[in-house]
Amino acid sequence: MITRARASALIVPLATLFAGPSPAAEDATLLKDLTAVIILLGMPCGQVISAKRQADNDHIASCENGNRYRVFVNAEGRVVAQKQ
Amino acid sequence: MRIIGILFFAVAAGCAGGLKEAPPAKEEASVALALPAAAPREPAIAAAEVIGIEPVAAAPAPAPPSKARARVSASAPAVEQPRKNEDPPPVAERVEPPLDIAALKARLRDTHAIGIFTKLALKNQVDDLLNQFRAHYQGGQKTSVASLRQPYDMLVLKVLSLVQDSDPSLARTISGSREAIWSILADPEKFNSVA
Repeated sequence: MITRARASALIVPLATLFAGPSPAAEDATLLKDLTAVIILLGMPCGQVISAKRQADNDHIASCENGNRYRVFVNAEGRVVAQKQ
Repeated sequence: MRIIGILFFAVAAGCAGGLKEAPPAKEEASVALALPAAAPREPAIAAAEVIGIEPVAAAPAPAPPSKARARVSASAPAVEQPRKNEDPPPVAERVEPPLDIAALKARLRDTHAIGIFTKLALKNQVDDLLNQFRAHYQGGQKTSVASLRQPYDMLVLKVLSLVQDSDPSLARTISGSREAIWSILADPEKFNSVA
């Protein structure tokens, strides 16, 4: 009993300390990144409210103004925002 | 007893993790405090210099003569106190040396203020601008390089708008390096040595 309690007392704080960013935080970072890149490329968007991952470096971003863009890195290494 | 000790250690470790995030907030607060203190003073001096009025005119109005001397002398240190605080602004005076193009690229690559897509898109746009300069110099310079100043300014503004909230230090450095970088780009010899 003591051993289990001791183990849980160690595991819980260690998991808290070494855990990476939560999925929600990652999502927020990605949405912010997609918002910035769409604006940087001169596309009307406002703010990206959701994103769907299609592949590595390839996302469909939905903007608050209703526009949808496929944001991806093309073969030449350029970031492209393609209106859907 | 041991379990209590372990739990206490765990709570202390958790608190230590939380304390790590405190210094940036404090730094931001000090920046916010330092800037308003310096900001109102400069325009007053600059305006006085432009108009030709002596700086004394910008000083706060003296106390009414009808008041007792003792009261005036007591209020004098209260007026001097803010000046003492203005003189050593701790963060605003820490001026970083101007960046060159390579250093700018490195700082943008290392910052956490912008995401990977944004960094790549910025790199594309910086490379595009450098290609415009290269084409300008290789094409015999029929027009002035000043025609590239506007796209350069636009790109700097874009970068500033992207980093100013999350990395104000980098934004200040870029803003301060604006003319230094332009002087490199606008000089064919310096540009060729860099690019």
